[in-house]
Amino acid sequence: MSALPGIASIAAMALYAAFFLHAESQAQVLGLVALAVVGVPVLARVGWIARTATSLEAHPLAARSASVAALAATIALFHDQHFVMLMLASVALYSVACLGLTLQFGYAGVVNFAGAAFLGVGGYTSAVLGPHVPHALVLLIGGLLAALVGSILILPILRTRGHYAALITVAFGILFRSFVEVNDALGGPQGLQVKGMNLFGWELNSPLRDLSFYANYVFVGLALAAAAFVLVRRLERSWVGLNLDAVRLDETAAAVFGIDVARWKILAFTCGNFFTGIAGAAYAMMTGFVAPNSFTFGDSLILVSIVLLGGLGSAWGVPLAAGIVLIVPEKLQALQEYRFLLYAMLVIVILLARPQGLIARPAREYFPK
Amino acid sequence: MHNCVPRVFWAAALAAALALDAGAAKQTVKIAYIGPLTGGVSANGIGGRNSADLAVRLRNADPKARYRYELVSLDDECKPNIAVQAATKAASDNSVVAGVTHYCSVAAIAAVDTYHKFGFPAVVWGAVLPDITYRNNYAEVHRVNGTMINQNDVAAKFMTGLKYKRWVIIHDTTDYGKGHDKYFTEYLTKYGGQVLGRFGVTADQQDFTAELTKAKELKPEVIYFGGLTPIGVRIRSQMERLGIDAVFEGTSGIKSDSYIDGLGKLAEGSLSFIEGAPWEKLPGGLYFIGKYAQQKYDQGPEAYGPFAFTAAGLIMDVIEQVGPNRRKVIEELRKTRDRDSIVGKISFDDHGQNVVPLITKYVVQDGKWVVWEDSEYASGRRKLK
Repeated sequence: MSALPGIASIAAMALYAAFFLHAESQAQVLGLVALAVVGVPVLARVGWIARTATSLEAHPLAARSASVAALAATIALFHDQHFVMLMLASVALYSVACLGLTLQFGYAGVVNFAGAAFLGVGGYTSAVLGPHVPHALVLLIGGLLAALVGSILILPILRTRGHYAALITVAFGILFRSFVEVNDALGGPQGLQVKGMNLFGWELNSPLRDLSFYANYVFVGLALAAAAFVLVRRLERSWVGLNLDAVRLDETAAAVFGIDVARWKILAFTCGNFFTGIAGAAYAMMTGFVAPNSFTFGDSLILVSIVLLGGLGSAWGVPLAAGIVLIVPEKLQALQEYRFLLYAMLVIVILLARPQGLIARPAREYFPK
Repeated sequence: MHNCVPRVFWAAALAAALALDAGAAKQTVKIAYIGPLTGGVSANGIGGRNSADLAVRLRNADPKARYRYELVSLDDECKPNIAVQAATKAASDNSVVAGVTHYCSVAAIAAVDTYHKFGFPAVVWGAVLPDITYRNNYAEVHRVNGTMINQNDVAAKFMTGLKYKRWVIIHDTTDYGKGHDKYFTEYLTKYGGQVLGRFGVTADQQDFTAELTKAKELKPEVIYFGGLTPIGVRIRSQMERLGIDAVFEGTSGIKSDSYIDGLGKLAEGSLSFIEGAPWEKLPGGLYFIGKYAQQKYDQGPEAYGPFAFTAAGLIMDVIEQVGPNRRKVIEELRKTRDRDSIVGKISFDDHGQNVVPLITKYVVQDGKWVVWEDSEYASGRRKLK
């Protein structure tokens, strides 16, 4: 099997993404959406997508290089367009947060409907500590605080299952929002300003040459996303991932085989929240503002929908789905008040056609070839 | 600002060339509208969008206009992060000259930094938080509607004008209540009133006997209340029980029908001050509503629609004067003094805040909120305490 179909597909996707990001008018955007809705099933029918998948699996190095090249080309193409760069950076940071969620309910099966609250913990950490503490440390502390808050929340989650555990996280998300809303020290409902990121003397809000200053955040976001991605993939392949899978698939059976269910759930939940907290801290520094309105239950659902749309437990699916969930509604601005209507319909159509998510997680290979 | 200077220069050069060629078609100039088009407050956002759109259509129908205008509407979802996105989208697009921006305070305060970064002239049409114009001194940011500062300026001036001298202030301890306390005190002192005492209460407090007993000993002529309807109702009724014979002066927070429903006859004579006015009371209200109705929009303009209309009109006036150049538009906007509009005169102070914004005074008369000037209290047939 040659690497060509895989590389060709990645190139085609990058080209499509470039056209999509460039599209301005309603007709162009809708045309491109329609092209994808019609084109992708046709490609699947003729077997191209399956060929792409096998080709990429057979040549992991080529797959990675092609992805990096495609990303680099996209960035080069849009380097001075602030809005596109902002959206790319948002996609990268949301990917980090959603990789955290993937660990939680993709692998260990611990549902978390309070993703936005953990983003918020990171964001508010940036707002409060930003002026006083080096920002690399702020990112770390944001992650640690989110993990810490999560480690309290995990107690009731461990005592419940299924819908009840989900309800606890929903309640926590609402609790978080009310807490910051009534807390004057945290700016109350009007929120807080956040300083732009400064990493070891590199001021991200001042542009490098003729790049948009948001390009700096794209670089940081991609670095974080790459780190999270590699970590999640390694975890998945390792014996840790094996244990997490066992816990998700059947808790009772896992316990019978001597797996400490609570321990793995705690690990996955805490690590996941750590990722989300870091993403929240970086995102807040980029947008320069945090307020309770950005961390509603609806925002948590956006995170969950990215994970489900990408394919539960699929690390490759996360950035793709994050791109769709964040960029499509922005591109549909031309539809004004109807844009979420169309966007929601699009998501439903995708999930009807691909109930396993865009890039379903492949079955684990217990005996590598 | 990066990169936009040369293109703006080209645009200006092009504009000049077009102006020379009198027979040429009009150049198209884009202005942005940003407001909440989806979510809980979308009715206000859509009303504002329609009103701004109306201003653009009227201008395009005017043969004397130098440019043809196009409105680019963006949704901020009333969320700060989305507002920054929308602001970046509008401000980084060099073909968009200026913006009519934000209904929600939280969206506006998040986006002002973006406007400043990109040198994008923005005129806020609905958000009321004072900080939006006053926290920074961004030349780019302006606001046509009033804030709680202006509300209290008008309230203090009006009440001292009625010869009241002695106040007790009760406010809730939210940003809203504390802000009202701060600005009312400031203006009251300026106009010669005296604050005998002030009490902070929590927003869900039930019993105010302690505060009101102390207040009674101070013998105020007016009890000023900075807070929202629910505790406003409780305080007013407990005042009666303790036999406090003072005028009850509220803020925009109690101007609601539920205030009157909750108090019945006791509501009589309570005062409230709010930014804006019903359209019937606007200087150009009839004109605005007439034109709005002609366009057959699905939804009404809502309370702040006239301000969005005004902001869009103001921006287009300035562009007509100085051309579609952001820097010049900012300079010219700043100079706005005593400009007539459908919401009254507009004058920006050195922070870009309209200092003569429209504030309407209301009094409860026979179970209804009545504009003060139309009430029997103003005509002298009834008397406040």
